Amino acid sequence: MLAAASKKQYLFIALLVIAAIVIGFWEPHALIYGIQRGSLYAVIALPLALILGILGVLNLAHGEFLTVGMYATFVLFSRFGVDPMVSTVPVTLLLAVVGVAVYLLTIKHVLKAGHLSQLLITFGISLVISELIKSIYTTQPRGVFTTYSYSSTTLAGIRFGTYEFLYLLIAVAVLVGLQLFLKKTRLGQATFAVGQNPRGASIVGINVSFVYLFVFGLSIAIVGLASVFMVPRVSIFPGAGTPYTMKSFALTAMAGLGNLNGILLAGIALGIFEAVVNAIPGGSGWSDVVFFGVLILVIMTRAIREGRR
Amino acid sequence: MKKISLASVLLLIAALMLSSVSLAAEPIKFGAVNPLGDITGFQTTRAMELAVKEINEAGGLLGRPVELIVVDDEMRPEIGAAAIDRLATVDNVDFFVGGMGSGVHLAQVPALKKYEKITVWMGAASHQVEIAMGPDADWYFHLHPWDYQQGASYGQGWTDIANAHPEIGASRIFLAYEEGAFGTDSYLAYLDLYEAAKDGEGPYGQILNDFAGASFTSALLGGGDYRAMLRQAMDFDPDLFIWAGYDADAVPMVAQAMELGFEPPLFVGAPPGWPANFGDNPLSDGVILYGMWAPALKEVSEISNHFWNEYIKMHGHEPATYFAPLGYTNIMFLAEAIKAAGTLEKDAVIEALRTIEYESPIGAVLKIEPSNIISNQGFTSQKILQYIDGEQHVIWPFEYATSEIKYPFGR
Repeated sequence: MLAAASKKQYLFIALLVIAAIVIGFWEPHALIYGIQRGSLYAVIALPLALILGILGVLNLAHGEFLTVGMYATFVLFSRFGVDPMVSTVPVTLLLAVVGVAVYLLTIKHVLKAGHLSQLLITFGISLVISELIKSIYTTQPRGVFTTYSYSSTTLAGIRFGTYEFLYLLIAVAVLVGLQLFLKKTRLGQATFAVGQNPRGASIVGINVSFVYLFVFGLSIAIVGLASVFMVPRVSIFPGAGTPYTMKSFALTAMAGLGNLNGILLAGIALGIFEAVVNAIPGGSGWSDVVFFGVLILVIMTRAIREGRR
Repeated sequence: MKKISLASVLLLIAALMLSSVSLAAEPIKFGAVNPLGDITGFQTTRAMELAVKEINEAGGLLGRPVELIVVDDEMRPEIGAAAIDRLATVDNVDFFVGGMGSGVHLAQVPALKKYEKITVWMGAASHQVEIAMGPDADWYFHLHPWDYQQGASYGQGWTDIANAHPEIGASRIFLAYEEGAFGTDSYLAYLDLYEAAKDGEGPYGQILNDFAGASFTSALLGGGDYRAMLRQAMDFDPDLFIWAGYDADAVPMVAQAMELGFEPPLFVGAPPGWPANFGDNPLSDGVILYGMWAPALKEVSEISNHFWNEYIKMHGHEPATYFAPLGYTNIMFLAEAIKAAGTLEKDAVIEALRTIEYESPIGAVLKIEPSNIISNQGFTSQKILQYIDGEQHVIWPFEYATSEIKYPFGR
């Protein structure tokens, strides 16, 4: 289910670049904020798309895993003075372990049970994680403040923060890493095969169960990686990651199932849309309407086109 | 036979005596409904426990111990409403106390009206609650200032500060408000105040010349990017920048302002609560906030100092929200009224609640007066506080000030 870049994608890129240039002249801040936020949405959405594309499971606990990563980073910072950037490795590994454990204890047992059971079990996991965090840390927000995360620079008279460009770098790095993994490694090719046809992959001797386990663990590890880089810029509270589940799903649906490149493009496109709406006085309340409105439009257009074929 | 009869009589007398002692020791039950999963409700409950402990150690009320029964409303209206029913019918409480959120309390109003027990409610600031309660509930006492009273008190505070410090102005105010009910209500309230100020009337009549606002999506609701809104505020160039959002917005808001180079002379946050250890964050210095209490009050108020020390001694952590001293006040105020009434008879206790004055650790004297609709309103104003060197200080009202204002904001 993992598709390569197509002509349509190049057309989309061209349109996106033109739109970005126009917006850049009209409201350069909106363009900058859009690219930054859109990249963050993309890096969080990529692992959700991977799980959905390979395992066929829509993980409703996606955002809660992000929250777990944030709290892990916070604990390392507040208890041991570990800078979030240094926490990257331990938190990513920790989340990989958490992902593997959750998969073995729960997801593995509902893979053949139908989508409703999968949705319900991941929804249950999200509630359990959220309530556990509440019982330990209460609902009071925590924070990890670092001066470098709010550093800014001025370019051509435009002052903007620089830290969030890290999101773009990470999104590109994760995307390239995933593509290389899927195309250049045996396990990656096996993963690709399982995503295309699990039964066929099993017949040719691929250990499908291990691939599922690996993909789930890897995906949650990527979520952990994203959480570490978010922590210096956000408040940490039990529901901090929750909204990203739906945004990630929206990006995955907009890009098309299995289209990892498309997720980055869709993320940046929707990020820019959102930033443009926010830049209009009184527009803030409309950003989600635009975000999900664009999603509905894209899905409907695609469905209508496919219906004509 | 005679011996048995005598023994029986003695036993009967002993049993009657014991039963009368046990009746005398029957506790007076205070039924509280607090959100225990939230720090406000958690610390309120701990503070209420402290108050009950002190009352019982001093001999109780009317010779009877006080029992506190707490039900968690989970910040959900339907659970909060059911909690009132449970406390009234299962636990048979004598009084209702506690409470935080307006949404939960609105759902509790019908149940409270059904039982008409004396209720001393400490939270729920929305005027919608006052409208729902109506003017006839003489058994209902509300301690927290209503939202409109808070707005008026801030205006009074800034006017007093501007009069005392001519270099400080608040003639251009920009309100950043979260796009939910809380923020939007705040914005509408400020619009009304601005309209009145144009005619030189209302609490901002002497100081406000220009007002603007912009909404943002709170981090609590999936937002957290305030840069577009902050740029609108920068363009307006306010003397006083206020944001009305939630605790999750506090650090990113001030940090993103720093990133943009936005440093208004007065930077005010008006969330219902603040993040843990916000004062430890270097960005907090100079941030102004509205609240009913600050830990520094212990330096100027004996009762605040007593509350602070005893709370820490009993629970091992510091009170971090004004709901803690407000919860203590909630219980103590009711206890003082029962003592003054000398009975649990409803009319007598209501009368006592209306006449006593209680020096509260909040840093104000609690006295009941009518508000716009209800006849039994407690506190009527908030305080203006400021984070200075990591600690919250009272800068207004001046009689409770623990520090001079740090002006202008910026680093």
